[in-house]
Amino acid sequence: MSLKNKKSGAFYFDSIRKSFSFFFFFGKKVNRTKVFILISFLPVVIALIIKCIQYFNKNYWLEDISVFSNIIVFFYLQFLILILALFFGSSVCSEETEGKTLTYLTTRPVHKSALILGKYAAYTLLIILMVNIGVILSFAILNISHLLDFSRYKILFRDMGVLTLGLICYTSFFTFIGTFLKKSILFGLIFSFGWENIIQYFPGSTQRFTIVHYLKSLLPQPARGRFSFLLFRLEPSSTGTAIVMLLLIALIFLGIACLVFSQKEYILED
Amino acid sequence: MIPVIEVKNLSKWYGNVLGLSDVTLQIEPGITGLLGPNGAGKSTFLKLITGQLKPKIGTVYIKGQKVKNNYPLFREIGYCPEQDSFYEELTGMEFLLKLLSLFPFTPSEAKDRAEQALEIVELTKEKDRVIKAYSRGMRQRIKFAQAIAHDPEILVLDEPLSGLDPLGRRRLISLIKEYRKKGKTIIVSSHILPEIEAMTKTIILIHQGKVFAQGDIHYIRDLIDTHPHIIAVKCDKPRLLAEKFIHEDYVLNVKFNPAEESLLVETNNRDEFFSLLPALFTENKIEVKEITSPDDNLQAVFDYLVGK
Repeated sequence: MSLKNKKSGAFYFDSIRKSFSFFFFFGKKVNRTKVFILISFLPVVIALIIKCIQYFNKNYWLEDISVFSNIIVFFYLQFLILILALFFGSSVCSEETEGKTLTYLTTRPVHKSALILGKYAAYTLLIILMVNIGVILSFAILNISHLLDFSRYKILFRDMGVLTLGLICYTSFFTFIGTFLKKSILFGLIFSFGWENIIQYFPGSTQRFTIVHYLKSLLPQPARGRFSFLLFRLEPSSTGTAIVMLLLIALIFLGIACLVFSQKEYILED
Repeated sequence: MIPVIEVKNLSKWYGNVLGLSDVTLQIEPGITGLLGPNGAGKSTFLKLITGQLKPKIGTVYIKGQKVKNNYPLFREIGYCPEQDSFYEELTGMEFLLKLLSLFPFTPSEAKDRAEQALEIVELTKEKDRVIKAYSRGMRQRIKFAQAIAHDPEILVLDEPLSGLDPLGRRRLISLIKEYRKKGKTIIVSSHILPEIEAMTKTIILIHQGKVFAQGDIHYIRDLIDTHPHIIAVKCDKPRLLAEKFIHEDYVLNVKFNPAEESLLVETNNRDEFFSLLPALFTENKIEVKEITSPDDNLQAVFDYLVGK
């Protein structure tokens, strides 16, 4: 590698680091983050309520770890990570164009795509922290009497890994949408609660066109039992395929987002 | 010698809308006023020379280097945008520090520069308040501070005085003039001629995306002085005032607006007109409510000049 290439490579990575540091700081301060912290702690409240019911009503009994798994699938995987990724991912670009603050960034000695990468990394880390802190607290509350049972931690770490992968992947997709479309939130909502929720149950390989298919493939499959005749069911991919596909989706959309942001001219209208 | 800023055959359009058309010019150190009515292409020109927009045709050079994708060159440029937009949740200090962190400064160097910039714009006391709590004047000043904090060689200010009260304007004009003394190149855009006049004599006149004239402000002043002006005087005795004016050679036309008790006077010599006015008021005991100039804006002047 020539000295010039090394220098420009170092400049590029330094730009990503600077952008990351700026937006991690900024992301922590904005009101939106505070609202989403509250939302992401809803499962913790639910876990507390369940625990209280169990404590006062001895007849009410549910396996703690199964309650935890259900919270992960229904609340985090099907709702929260989509909402967080949608609002944070699409805002990577749109909050600069709609807030007309883009000029402050594009007149600095920082590569445009490095700005996007740094901001994406900052916002993704923020929402990963938000989600995983909520998950750890929910787990701790629901398994309070089994905290020394280390076999349960395997489930916790697996679920945290799946949610983290989901956030990386969805945020990348919505970052791309934000650089590309003006009404990214509307499109994102249709995608999240329309496409992702419906197509994942389509038979055959159609369901592989959803991100949630690969995320669910990483979780244990529920027993089919008497519903095994249904056509609408998950036909999981292998763990390796699922991880590779998720990372590939994240990389591709992030790459396109960088390309679009670098090439597109954003007209900041009054 | 290489000019600080040089643009060659610069053209830019947005779909069917023309932004800038075939502009070729050079800008040297000192203050250059970019003057033109709203929608003339001033902001487009400034965004092109700061690398925010890509020209459809033509090239921008800063110190002999092409601007396009030349990110290290942006260290030399300070840009103060027209729009009143900020990262509202940040404090003044954080806003400057975070933007300075995008330059190759050490944290302590960035802190020193931020404090220095805040001191220049007299915002040191308010540095820890969030920007959303700033007044309009403070917001304009913090915007100016972010443009000068990294001590750029070229300062590009898009309508920096808009929305400021007279005191705020004076303060900012003196700040801009201070910057000129350091030998920097400053480009200031405005659609108000007196604002530019207060800062510089070197101007670029821009209209409908084209550079209409470039050079000393006296040239344009002379052109403007021959432009017939309409002045509205709201007073209690408009007919008496009209009678006094009608004999003057420089008064071309007089009209009444009975509903508003006002008089519209068209003159081709504003200075003579205004020098006579106070004496007429006092001698005839006329009570004045308002004096305005309905066509005293650049659009009217440009329409006149273009027609000429």
